[in-house]
Amino acid sequence: MLAGFLTLLGFQLIGEFLQRAFDLPLPGQVIGMLLLFIALMIRGSVPAQLEKGSQHLIDILPMLLMAPAAGVFFLGAGFADQWPGFIAAISAGTILTLIFCGLLLKFLTRRKRVNR
Amino acid sequence: MAGLELIHSPLFALVVTLAAFQIAFWAYQRSQRFALLHPTISGAVLIAGTLTALGIEYPEFYQNIHWLNFLLGPVTVALAVPLYRQLHLLRDIATPLLITTFAGAAFACGSALILAWSLGATKTTLLSLTTKSITTPIAIVVTDDIGGIATVAVASVILTGIVGIVSIEWLFKKLNIQDDRLWGFCLGLAAHAIGTSRAFERSTVAGAFSSLALCLTGTVTAIFVPLAANWFAAL
Repeated sequence: MLAGFLTLLGFQLIGEFLQRAFDLPLPGQVIGMLLLFIALMIRGSVPAQLEKGSQHLIDILPMLLMAPAAGVFFLGAGFADQWPGFIAAISAGTILTLIFCGLLLKFLTRRKRVNR
Repeated sequence: MAGLELIHSPLFALVVTLAAFQIAFWAYQRSQRFALLHPTISGAVLIAGTLTALGIEYPEFYQNIHWLNFLLGPVTVALAVPLYRQLHLLRDIATPLLITTFAGAAFACGSALILAWSLGATKTTLLSLTTKSITTPIAIVVTDDIGGIATVAVASVILTGIVGIVSIEWLFKKLNIQDDRLWGFCLGLAAHAIGTSRAFERSTVAGAFSSLALCLTGTVTAIFVPLAANWFAAL
């Protein structure tokens, strides 16, 4: 498992370095993820240690998000006037996104079937 | 009493966080994964309640637990593993999925911004909303990068996930979309990890397509939101 963590941290380090060295507009972690993805494609399989380490980290993800999420209750008066837009954007925006994606994907896959 | 000052220590903050997670996770399992009891939500409520009861200031608590955020870096890198695992599923309908990823990610971000802006949201709130449809570790990293508030970003991601899983069943029945691949992909695109766990409950295929959408949307948004934000800032 530690070997898996080492791999992940190593790729993150490379990502952070590339981000700084070339002043890229992407976060270093995301560059690290893309590099690891490419490396896995070249290798053609996932090492057992990496599989284990990644799974453990992804499993505790909800815990990592709890402390920042708790901050919602302490945003205070300064954010009060932001709630209407915030709630509207999230509820209506998400439902509209689901409808948009569903219809678009349905349309695209149907046309493909006709082409065949 | 001597010793009580420990409630202001990083050790106590970590104990509270781990305990809240255990309780929240247990409650979520017991309720058969009831969406509103998702560990991130119920855990956050437990933490907020504990802080209020003990009179601990949130900024102080966050300072004490902030180092946990460090782990979000390797978690983001770790997402490459499930993405690689789902790669073979893409080949069948690769082009429609890629087009939908780009259009859908832009739509998710754009619709949120227009709605929030028309209701008077400030620039910081808008920046924090750009990442609402992507998985939280990437959202936090990107939002920090472009000057949004991490807390608002996390809240928007979680609430988006809940709205997604609560509405999809009815919505896609109305739209007559019952193909598991499409069902899962759209849910993963709009509602990230929370949507993905719901998709796995429908079927393995739906879950796999949902993970795929989660990774693709996260990547596309992470690449284009900072670019778009830089561009707008330069105007």
